[in-house]
Formats: sequence, C-alpha cells, structure tokens
Amino acid sequence: MSVTLPEPLSPRGAPRKLATGANPYLPAPARIMRVQDLTSDIRLYDLRFVDSVLADSFAFRPGQFVELSVVGVGEGPFSLPSSPTRRGMFQLGVRRVGTLTNYLFDHVIEGDTVGIRGPLGNGFPVELFEGQDVLLVAGGLGMVPLRGLLQYLIDQRDRFGRVMLLYGTRSPEQVLFREELESLSRRGDAEILLSVDQTQGRPWAGRVGVVTELLDLVTFDVARTHAIACGPPVFYKFMLEKLVARGFGRHRIFLSLERRMECGVGKCGHCAVGYTFTCLHGPVFSYWDAINLPELIYT
Amino acid sequence: MQTLRMNESLLPSLLEVLKGFGTLIAPVERSPGVFSLEAIADVSRVRPDALRTILPFKKLLLKPGFVMLEQRAGGAPVESRDNDWGPLVYFGAHSCDIHALKILDLLYLSDYVDPYYKRNRDNLTVVGYGCMPDDKCFCKSVGTATVDENFDLFLTPLQGRFMVTVASARGDDIVRTAAHLFEPATRRDVQDFLDRVRERDDAFTLTLDVADLPYVLELKTDDPVWEELGKKCLCCGSCSMVCPTCACFNVRDEIPEEGTVRRVRTWDACLYREYAQVAGGHNFRDTRADRVRNRYYHKQEAFVREFGMPSCVGCGRCIENCPTGINVVEVFQTVRGEL
Repeated sequence: MSVTLPEPLSPRGAPRKLATGANPYLPAPARIMRVQDLTSDIRLYDLRFVDSVLADSFAFRPGQFVELSVVGVGEGPFSLPSSPTRRGMFQLGVRRVGTLTNYLFDHVIEGDTVGIRGPLGNGFPVELFEGQDVLLVAGGLGMVPLRGLLQYLIDQRDRFGRVMLLYGTRSPEQVLFREELESLSRRGDAEILLSVDQTQGRPWAGRVGVVTELLDLVTFDVARTHAIACGPPVFYKFMLEKLVARGFGRHRIFLSLERRMECGVGKCGHCAVGYTFTCLHGPVFSYWDAINLPELIYT
Repeated sequence: MQTLRMNESLLPSLLEVLKGFGTLIAPVERSPGVFSLEAIADVSRVRPDALRTILPFKKLLLKPGFVMLEQRAGGAPVESRDNDWGPLVYFGAHSCDIHALKILDLLYLSDYVDPYYKRNRDNLTVVGYGCMPDDKCFCKSVGTATVDENFDLFLTPLQGRFMVTVASARGDDIVRTAAHLFEPATRRDVQDFLDRVRERDDAFTLTLDVADLPYVLELKTDDPVWEELGKKCLCCGSCSMVCPTCACFNVRDEIPEEGTVRRVRTWDACLYREYAQVAGGHNFRDTRADRVRNRYYHKQEAFVREFGMPSCVGCGRCIENCPTGINVVEVFQTVRGEL
C-alpha cells in the first residue's frame, strides 16, 4: 500500500491552514468510534471526523500530533499511534494524568464527539528512511507515537530495509500493543526485542533490565540505519549517548519531545525551547539539533 | 512617502477627523505623569506628549482576556468576536511602538495566522508621534529609534507646527478627507526636522551593546549571573505584561451559565511558575533563575536567530515597572562581564 504525504512543514513561512479549519484554534468535531484499554491507565481511542470530507482526506505524517478538546473541560496534545496509510480514521493514545484525561476516562464513551485540531508539528523525516534500515527505540509511553511510525513502515514494508524495535517498560502489564508486536515479530516483518525493569511476578518471556541493554543484543550497519527514539527524559539521557557510542552519527538519531504544547501553532509560547517552538519546529528533532538547544533534554 | 506640515493649533481638528476612521485610541493622563491608552470621546484629553503608556498597544490588538470560542449545549464550538474592535485608530505611537507592531506581526501573521489578531490588525490605522528619550529609553541601541514603514501618518512636533509624514494609502485617505489642515512642507520645515532628528539622536543616555549578543548569550548559558538574577527577580511577570512584544497566552475553559461553555484566552508570562509545566507535573523551568534566563534569551537570542532581530524595542517599560529594580541594560552588561 502506498500513500501520498503532505509536504514537510517549513518553519515560519507563508500563511498556511490546518486541515481542521482556517481558524487554527477552532476544533473540528470527531466521533469516538472505539475505546480500548491498553493498560490500567492508558487507553486507545479510534476517532473519525464528523465531516466526511475531512474524515476521508485527513492526512498526517507519522510523529505529528493533534490537540484534543472537550470544550468546557480543556484541551491537550496527543500523539497519533496510527498510520496515515490507514485512511478514514485515526487513533490517539491517552494516559490518565490530569483534568482532561480524567474526564475522558470517566465520562467520554464510544459514540461521543470531541474536538480535534491538527495535524500539528513536523513529524518523522520518513523520506530519509526509504531503502534504509530503521531502528526504533521506545521507553514507556514513547511507544505510542512510534507505533504510528511502525505501522507506516510495515504497511509499506518493501520500501524499507530492516525494521527493528527495542522497547522497554517498567513491568509486563505496561507493555503497549503487546499482541500486535508479537505477531509482527512472528511474521518476520520486524525484529522486536522487549524488556521490562521488573517482572513483578508476571509471566514474561522477554528480557529483564533497562531498555538500553537491548542495544547490546542487536547488530546493525550504522551507515544505512536511522535510529528513532521516543521516551521520557531519563530514557533520552541514557539511550541517546548509548546510540552514539554504538556508532550512530547524531544526525542519524531522531527523537520526539514532550513540552507543554497549548496552541500547537507556534503562538502561545509555552513549548518554546531556545529559538524553537516544539509544536511548530518539532516535536521531532535530530539529536544534533536537540543537543544544541538549551534545556531540550537534560533539564 | 509624502511630507506635509500642519499648524500646531489644528491638532484637535485632526483628532476629530481621525474619529471618523474608527475608535480613536490615544494616551491620556490618568494621574500626574502616569499615562494609559484609552478610547477617546473628548479630544482635549489626548496627551500625545506622553512618553510611555503603562500598557502598550498590544492590549487593544489582543485584549488581556477574551473569548475565543463558544459552545452551546449540543452544538459545535463557534468562533467568538469578543476580541474584535472594528476600525481602530491608534494615535500617539512612537517609533518603538510601531516596531513592536512589526514584531507582533511576525509572530501572529506568519504560518498559522491568528484570526483574532489579524481582524484587529487589518482594521488598524496608526498615527505616530515624535518623542524625546528619557533615561530609560534605549531604542537607538536596538535599531528602533526611527521608523519608515508600518504606519499611516506620523507627526513630528516642530516649533509651532508638525511635520507630517504620509506613509500609506490610508494615511493619504485621511489627508484628503481633511485637506484644509495640511500644507506642503517647506525647506525650512525639512531643515528643522533634520535638526530635531540630530538633537534627539544626541539626547539618548542609555545604551545597550547588542553587538554579537546572541553569540555572547550562547556562551553564557551556565553563567552564575542567572542564579544571581533569579534571587532578585520575583517572577511577578510585570515586565512581560508591560512589554510591547511579549504576547504569550494561556487558554482556559469557563462555564458562565448552564448550557454555555467559553474558551477564554488570557495574557501569560514565561516567568510564571506553571508556564512550562506539563500534564503529570514535570516543570521544564522549575526555578526562577531558569525562567528569568529564558526570558532574556528569548528576547535577545532566540528571536534574533528566528527572525533576524531582537524582540526588544528599547521602550524602557520593563525598567520603569520592575518592583525590584532589575534593569535590562545592566543585566546584559553583567552578562558581558562589564559590571
């Protein structure tokens, strides 16, 4: 399956519009088609825009994000764990962590309508990965945006070389998309290694230890591989330098950053780091670009 | 560009004419020496000689708080016109204020255009007024002491008359509406104008050395000066509120009555503790030192890298309003190791 992506975003240019409308602050209604529990505090929502033209035309780059609104409760940024190769619907991964997400968990059910603005941000530079090997490294909730990228790679499997995923969580029940990942691994579509910090007495066939140790278990040709990392700050602190130690140039490592993205369109200022607006110029940066920005990783 | 002259005694007549072009906003004296921008009914209240209003003109383009969206029960959210003024005439803009408008334009009219800002901006007529610096002005250092675009008319006071610069078709409309107020500028007017430019240039006493400042700042991110500044700064946000180019905002939802929901946008400041805090509680700029450093870096490093100019126009409002006496010029002198 092949898909035509929107042009990569260029920072600070001519006026442009969001797919969801000319007023970038006005959310477009989207219906919740399905809700699944991924863990005790993380849910996967399937959504479809109420406007069928928008629903069928909505395209995004893996790694972009949207702002989800319940007007009267609030709005927040969420990454897209689905792939633009699958049109008509999109998914959001939501962890119960604050006012808005508590409301979603407690009051919003299948069939309800929420507001969506997007797609926002730059997304992963997937064109660079064509014909090359791709190493995804995820820590915890970082699997959510990387699952969208993984789907994108798998849906167009012949356009890419090796697809590898190293994914670590705290415990076996924290592993997101576990059955799906095991199935991909069995089919040989992707080389997947999982680790948990502790088994906590649960059955577990994968490794036990920190996710960085998984890097020691794979070999790769760094000249034809890009590494894409996504996880919490402590994950970046150790993983990024370990990738460099394994021979990756800092320009071949990409990461996705979390900040307080409020307006999502480079205006409100909350996600600014140095001279970049994470929401507009990011959330995806090469490690080289990231390491040269103050506060970007080591806070 | 066209140059005219107007007799000083005709200013009230011009102000009456300007009222025909929109809601007239101009400085008035609220208490001795304290000026604010207000909508004008009685033109005798206008004080164009006011050097610095407490709040800059941004308070009209983007109100301190306004409704962005409204939603009725069962309906979809709709855009609100709460921020819209309709036609506005801003009288008394100084050169720094006009440069500040350009900086706000760079932010709000690029990429995803802010419709709330744009509607007021499109409806805005700017009439500038020449000033003389005091000991808090350093616009000359940051290149905003003179202006030749982004306004419609500009009045420079000379002895007994004004030199009037017409810089736009809208300014030309105003002049043609009130042709009896204006005459062609004479050679004497032009010479007096140039003498005044020289006199004003010589009147600056405060200087900010901006040479290579972004580079200096990049080399000084870990300098102890930021910790020291963090001890002095209360993070009250006054400097951001009065800054003509600070335009960060917060968004929150309100439920004013059963069945109606509003999404409200209010001014914010990067000095506030919650500014960079994300869901779950992690704060990317937890200390006052982190936040005060971020503000200065944004103005003199980040904005320069993104847009090729600092987002400080040297108006001196932050110096005038800081409750602990932080002076931006002294801050950068300290960073350079000169104090």
